[in-house]
Amino acid sequence: MAHLTNPLATPSQLYALTTLNSPLPIDLQHSIRFYTARLTQAAGLLLRLPQDITAQANVLLYRYWLVDPLLAWEFSDVSAATLYLTAKISASPRTLRSITNVYTYLLSLPTFPSPTTPAPTAPPDPESYYLSETAYTTYRNRLLNIEGQILNALSFTTHVSLPHPLAITYLQTLSIFSLPPAVSTRVAKRTIAHLNTALLSPQMLYLTHQPPALATAAIYLAAREEGVKLPDGEWWTVFDVEREELGFLCVGMRSLEGFVEEERRRWEGRGVLTREGVRGEMGKLGLNNEVGNGVEEDEESQMARLLDEKVGAVST
Amino acid sequence: MTGKMKSRWADDEEDAAADAARKREKEEKRRAKAEKQRIADEAALKAQQAAAAVADAQSEENQTELSNRPSKRRKLSPEREEGGEKASGGGEVKLLRFPVGGWKRCRSVEEYEKLNDIEEGAYGWVSRARDSATGQVVALKRLKMDNANDGIPVTGLREIQTLMDCEHPNIVALREVVVGEDTRKIENIFLVLDFLEHDLKTLLEEMPEPFLTSEIKTLLQQLVSGVLYLHNTWILHRDLKTSNLLLNNRGVLKIADFGMARYFGDPPPKMTQLVVTLWYRAPELLLGTERYGTAVDMWSVGCIFGELLTKEPLLQGKNEVDELSKIFELCGIPTEESWPGFRRLPNARSLRLPKNPVSQGSVLRAKFPFLTASGSELLISLLSLNPAKRPSAKEVLEHGFFREDPKPKSREMFPTFPSKAGQEKRRRRGTPNAPVRGKVGEIGAVDFSGIFAGREEEERGGGFSLKLI
Repeated sequence: MAHLTNPLATPSQLYALTTLNSPLPIDLQHSIRFYTARLTQAAGLLLRLPQDITAQANVLLYRYWLVDPLLAWEFSDVSAATLYLTAKISASPRTLRSITNVYTYLLSLPTFPSPTTPAPTAPPDPESYYLSETAYTTYRNRLLNIEGQILNALSFTTHVSLPHPLAITYLQTLSIFSLPPAVSTRVAKRTIAHLNTALLSPQMLYLTHQPPALATAAIYLAAREEGVKLPDGEWWTVFDVEREELGFLCVGMRSLEGFVEEERRRWEGRGVLTREGVRGEMGKLGLNNEVGNGVEEDEESQMARLLDEKVGAVST
Repeated sequence: MTGKMKSRWADDEEDAAADAARKREKEEKRRAKAEKQRIADEAALKAQQAAAAVADAQSEENQTELSNRPSKRRKLSPEREEGGEKASGGGEVKLLRFPVGGWKRCRSVEEYEKLNDIEEGAYGWVSRARDSATGQVVALKRLKMDNANDGIPVTGLREIQTLMDCEHPNIVALREVVVGEDTRKIENIFLVLDFLEHDLKTLLEEMPEPFLTSEIKTLLQQLVSGVLYLHNTWILHRDLKTSNLLLNNRGVLKIADFGMARYFGDPPPKMTQLVVTLWYRAPELLLGTERYGTAVDMWSVGCIFGELLTKEPLLQGKNEVDELSKIFELCGIPTEESWPGFRRLPNARSLRLPKNPVSQGSVLRAKFPFLTASGSELLISLLSLNPAKRPSAKEVLEHGFFREDPKPKSREMFPTFPSKAGQEKRRRRGTPNAPVRGKVGEIGAVDFSGIFAGREEEERGGGFSLKLI
C-alpha cells in the first residue's frame, strides 16, 4: 500500500502556514519554495542523482516547510540537507563532500542557471568555489544539524511515493504505447514533464494529492496537448480519481507556466535566492524589515533565554 | 401566582402566539428554499447553455484552426450530463481510497516512563517503558549514533522507513519515533515498538525440551507469513535469526530488528553481501554475490526451522570459510548441475571442492530422524544451495507439512513461559552480530576438499562398522 500512497498535509497545517511564516508575504513564500526546489533540482543534476531521488528530496523539502518556518535556516542549507538525506536512504547515496562541493559551486554563480539565460562564455574561476577543509567541516556540521531538525519535524516519515512510474503504467493501460512511437513518446515525455514541473507548484500539489491523481492529471493534460484521443467516458475513475480532483489538478498544473513566468520576471539574473535576498526584497516592498529580522532575533533571544533558564536550574 | 402555578402544558395565548410564529417561520423557510432552488436551477441551466456554447465555439475553433484536434474534446458536455444522471440514479462509481497518514513534529521521549533495560542489540539499546498518557507498556529502542560524520545512521533510517510501511500481525509495529528533550541537536532517537515478553533465542536457551512439532509449525507459519508480507511489500529483511524473533505470552510471533532491511526491486539492484548474521547467511552471500533476492531470507528461515527442532543453531561457523564448509557438510557440495553458474560467483573461483559430491539432503535427513518425510522435504528445500530452488514464502505456507498431523497448535493453546524481559535483565547472548557495513571479507584460496576426506573409512551406520578382511 505504501508504494501507492503518501502522507498528506492536513488542512490545519496548510491554514497555519500564514501565521508560521508571518510577516513574510505569500508571494515571497512562493518564491522561496520555487527557487529552493529548483536549487535542489540543479544540485541533483550536478550530482548525477537519478531524478526520482531529486524529486523525493523536493517533496520532503516542502513537507518540512509545513512544520518549520521558511526563514528558520538558510534555504540552500535546507535544500542540501534534504538532498543528502534522501540520497542516503536510497540506492544511490552521495557523500557530504560531494554535496557541499556542488552547493558551494551553485552558490558562487553570479546568476542562477536557467534555460533562458545564456550560458556564461568562460567557465567560472575554480578559486571562487573552492571549499577548504575547515570550511567543509563547518558546512557539514551545519547540514547534519539541519538533517536532524528535518527528521524531527517530519516525525521521520521519509517515505515518498512518486507518480512517475504509476503514470507509465497508466499510459500502458490506456494503450498509448500502441500508437506510433513518435506520438507515444511525445505523450509520455510530456506527462513526465508535467509531473516534474508540478513538484515546483506553489500549491504544493504533492502534499495535497495522492500519486494516482497526479499521474492521471498529467496524462490528461499531456494527451490534450499532444492531440491524442483518450477513451470515451470517465476513464479517470478507473484510476480512482474523481472528476473534481482531476479538474483541480489540471488547473493547478497548467497555472504553473504563468507562475514561473512571474517568478522569472522578478528574480531573473540574480544568484541563488538567500535569506538576505528575501529580507532585501521585503525592505523594498516597504514591509517592516526589522520584523523580518525579528524572526531570527526572536529565535536567538529565545535560545538565550532557554540557556539562561538551564544554567539557572543547574546552579540552584 | 396563578400564572406560575398553572400546568406547563396548558394552552394559553402565549403558546398560541409562539406556535403561529413558528409556523410562519417554517413556511417562510420553505418558500425561501423553493426560491433558492428555482434560482439555482435557472443558473445551472444558464451555465449549461453557456458551457455548451463555449464548447461549441471551441470545437469550431478547433476545427478551423487546429484540424488535427481530436474529436474527443467535444464530448465533454454530454459526458457531464451522463455523470449527473448516474449520480442521481444512485449508480455511483466506487473509488478506491486508502487511509492517509500525515507528519508532525516528534514527541519527546519524556512522554514515556522507563521501567527496565532489556538488551543491547547491534543497532541500539532496548528498554521497557510505559506511555505516561495511555499507560501502555512498550519497548523503547534507542538508535546508536555511530558515525557522527554521516549524521543519523542510514541503518536506523532504513529501519524506521521499512517498519513504518509495514502493518502485519507478525511484524513488530513501530508506533512512533520520539526524540530527546533537547531538540536543538537531534542526537537521541527512540523507536517506540510493541513490547513482547520473549525473544525466541533466549526462550530456546531456557527451555529444558525443544518445542513440540505442533508448536514449531505454529511458529514457523507465523514467521513465514510475516516474511511473505515483507517480500510482497518489496522488503528484504536480511537479518532473520531467532534472537530477532519475538514471542508474547499469547503465542504470537513477531519479526523485529529491521536494521538490515531495505527495499529491493525486480530485477534486484546491486546490494552488499555483508548482510545476515553469519550462522544464518545463505551460501550465495558467502560466495560474494551482489545480486540476490528473497531467497536469502528463505535460507535463514530454513536455519531457524532447524534450530527450532534441536534448540541449537544449525550452522555455527566460526568465520565465513568455516560457515561455508559447515554448510557444504550439511547440505552437500554444489555442482554445475545442482547450481548452474555458482562457479562464476566472486568467491567461488578459488574454491577447491571434492570430486565426488554426496547427494544433497542425505546428511540433513540423518540429522533430523524424527522429522516426517514432508517435514524433511521442506527443510531440505529451504536449505537448497541453489537460491533458485528454495521455495518462496508462499510456497512454504502451502506446503503439505502444515496440513499433516500433528496440526499447527492454535495460538490460544500455546504454552506460556516466565517472562525474562518483564523484570530481569537479560543475559548477553552468544549469537554473533550482523556484519558491520564497510569492509567485505575476502574468502581467499581455500581448500574444501578435506571436508569429506575419510568418508569411505567412516562408513555408514551408527555403532559398528563393517570391514572386509
